Amino acid sequence: MKFKHIIALISIMFLFLTGCQPAAPQVKDTLVVGMGGDAVSLDPHATNDQPSSRVGRQIYETLIVQTEDLQLVPGLATSWRQVDDLTFEFTLKQGVKFHNGEVLKASDVKFTIDRALKSAFIGHIVGQIESVNVVSDYLLTIKTKQPFAPLLTHLAHPAMSILNEKAVTDGGENYGLNPVGTGPFKFVSWTKLDSIVLTRNDDYHGTKAKVKDVTFKIVTDNTVRTIQLETGELDIAYDIQASDVSRVSGNSELKLLRGANLSTTYIGFNVEKAPFNDVRVRQAINYALDMNAVVNAVYLGVGAPAKGPLGPNVFGANLDLVEYAKNVDRAKQLLADAGFPNGFTTTLWTNENQARVDIAEIVQEQLAAIGIEVKIEVVEWSKYLADTAAGLHDMFILGWTTVTADADYGLFALFHSSAKGTAGNRTFYANARVDELLNIGRTTIDANARLAAYKEAQQIIRDDAPWIFTWTGENIAGTRANVVGFVQHPAGHHKLVDVTFNK
Amino acid sequence: MRHEVQEGPWKSAFRRLIRNRSSLIGLIVLIALILVAVFADQIAPFTFREQNLDATFLMPNAVNFFGTDNFGRDIFSRVVYGTRISLMVGVISVSIALVIGGGLGAIAGYFGGYLDTIVMRFVDVLISIPSILLAISISVTLGGGLRNVMIAVGIGSIPSYARVMRASVLSIKELQFIEAARALGTKKHIILLRHIIPNTLAPVIVQSTLGVAGAILAAAGLGFIGLGIEPPNPEWGAMLNAGRQFIRDYPHMSIYPGIAIMITILSLNLLGDGLRDALDPKMDR
Repeated sequence: MKFKHIIALISIMFLFLTGCQPAAPQVKDTLVVGMGGDAVSLDPHATNDQPSSRVGRQIYETLIVQTEDLQLVPGLATSWRQVDDLTFEFTLKQGVKFHNGEVLKASDVKFTIDRALKSAFIGHIVGQIESVNVVSDYLLTIKTKQPFAPLLTHLAHPAMSILNEKAVTDGGENYGLNPVGTGPFKFVSWTKLDSIVLTRNDDYHGTKAKVKDVTFKIVTDNTVRTIQLETGELDIAYDIQASDVSRVSGNSELKLLRGANLSTTYIGFNVEKAPFNDVRVRQAINYALDMNAVVNAVYLGVGAPAKGPLGPNVFGANLDLVEYAKNVDRAKQLLADAGFPNGFTTTLWTNENQARVDIAEIVQEQLAAIGIEVKIEVVEWSKYLADTAAGLHDMFILGWTTVTADADYGLFALFHSSAKGTAGNRTFYANARVDELLNIGRTTIDANARLAAYKEAQQIIRDDAPWIFTWTGENIAGTRANVVGFVQHPAGHHKLVDVTFNK
Repeated sequence: MRHEVQEGPWKSAFRRLIRNRSSLIGLIVLIALILVAVFADQIAPFTFREQNLDATFLMPNAVNFFGTDNFGRDIFSRVVYGTRISLMVGVISVSIALVIGGGLGAIAGYFGGYLDTIVMRFVDVLISIPSILLAISISVTLGGGLRNVMIAVGIGSIPSYARVMRASVLSIKELQFIEAARALGTKKHIILLRHIIPNTLAPVIVQSTLGVAGAILAAAGLGFIGLGIEPPNPEWGAMLNAGRQFIRDYPHMSIYPGIAIMITILSLNLLGDGLRDALDPKMDR
């Protein structure tokens, strides 16, 4: 009796095993890309988040393209010239067709930018634009409110993807689910929290995509994403976690790609709140921490300890700032001078990001050595953003990605006194000289003058210490060994048009 | 009152309990865990927060019996201190649920009528929300921290105590000795507190023992999804979660807290099952 059962069980299992054998595909022409989060909307004006940009970048194109080595090259605009301090003129490429068959005209660009100006998500990207003037079907001018040096890099931001007026009007409320661009891939379908499917645009005006289809698979768990790359379910996995780096690089069936990105992580102080309104307290905490050890323990050799507010590949980064090297005696002295010889109790906020929680735990332990008792609070993301914008916090951990690779994007919103709160300055830092320098950097066209202004601003920020510079990030992706032509973009929205499989 | 009369059944229940081998094991393990929690300071070789960034991810060895975690903290010490947290969360959150839930159930069962309807419909509403979901929402609203986890888990399990208590009260209040007390003119609240509630204890004790296990698991679940006790406190669920991203290279980070959770829950369940059998009046003699 029992024996029969076992036989039956084994045969059933055998059936399952044979039944589950995947049929080997004849010719591989679908690229499967795994990423950690789902897109929010494929309407570039309805969001500003990385997963959406990663998909949008395949569907849409911008007037100007910022290449993987951060050079500005023609995109939908073949050429441009500066007319005066406030105005740039752009010539559009001819014969470019949207996925719905419409031809790209200057009126589409005007429509797009006018629409973008009304968006609540991308004000910091388009806000400086005053107006767009259509000169002819393929010629237009863009005017800014004041001289705006980083305009061209802003036009290369994925949020400035050019939309088709008819498609947006026809799409109405659901445009974000039916995106129409000029890019090398067309949108096919989207299963929320599962996958987004694209297919090759055979009418593409440039070099056509090499693979026929692309599927973005949403795999939120970092470990699972690596496992799926190992088993071949994914051809490319974005954002390999630090603890899996050696696993991927040591696997002969896989390739590991690494490259510095444009993100920075920092610990901020609420400088309007005691005791952090005293610069000596902020410096003391900087001296009490060994950020190199923190970064090594948390990021396991991925990325690098931050030396300033900007990553090294951002235009305007000051690479000569002197680090606050760990010095407990100095830290204690500064605390005593500030009137806290026995330290104090405070809170450190972070969101549910494991690396940041880990940083918080080490900081907590290291600050205990100078008598500062830190309570860690892990706050839910939307509450985190709202409450830090409202200034309810003491210390907090956040990140910033300087998408345009220009210092204006990476400093103005974070340190200018006019940007306090929601706009990005969550330390509520205010320094008249820094304001002045950031204004100079924004409105001066001469690159050397900008560079000098930004360097001085960063020196002041370093000394005023509203931040503890923490970590500059690295993009780490893994691919199957047979994937060729994949290059990471420092801003994270990698192009897939040139990716293919070798035989 | 009549304590001598009650001693008989309790004593025999205890005898039946320790005669049952699995519940005896559960009891012994639980006592051992309580001792570990009480004497954690003496047992643990290190504190639970001491970091050593030069000795991270050590495998189990003679100094660190369970190895070290990603901050170089001693996992054995953290598991030992974690016992204290888990037992405390278990007992206190069950007490919260017992006092509120049991109180509501007793009132509803004894007074009946509109009061019963109102209280039990409220309990029905609570019960229609999965208790872990309720605990998650409460803990998101109140924020993290030991106290809030206990409140969240406690409120989440109010309905089951209310129901058990109400059912017991309903069955006992019709018995003759209650009628006798009523006939003698004893005040209602005296009848409820002195005569009815002591006789409902058997099912409540069983429910509570199993409930402590559920509460510990719920707290570990909250810790695992990052809503639990604030770091660096060594909550087992949170330790399990911290080990998750390293599980393929350093499984010891997750295995030991996992085993600790398993042993605790198992011992409580064995004891609870044994108590259920031992306290069943039909099993007498």
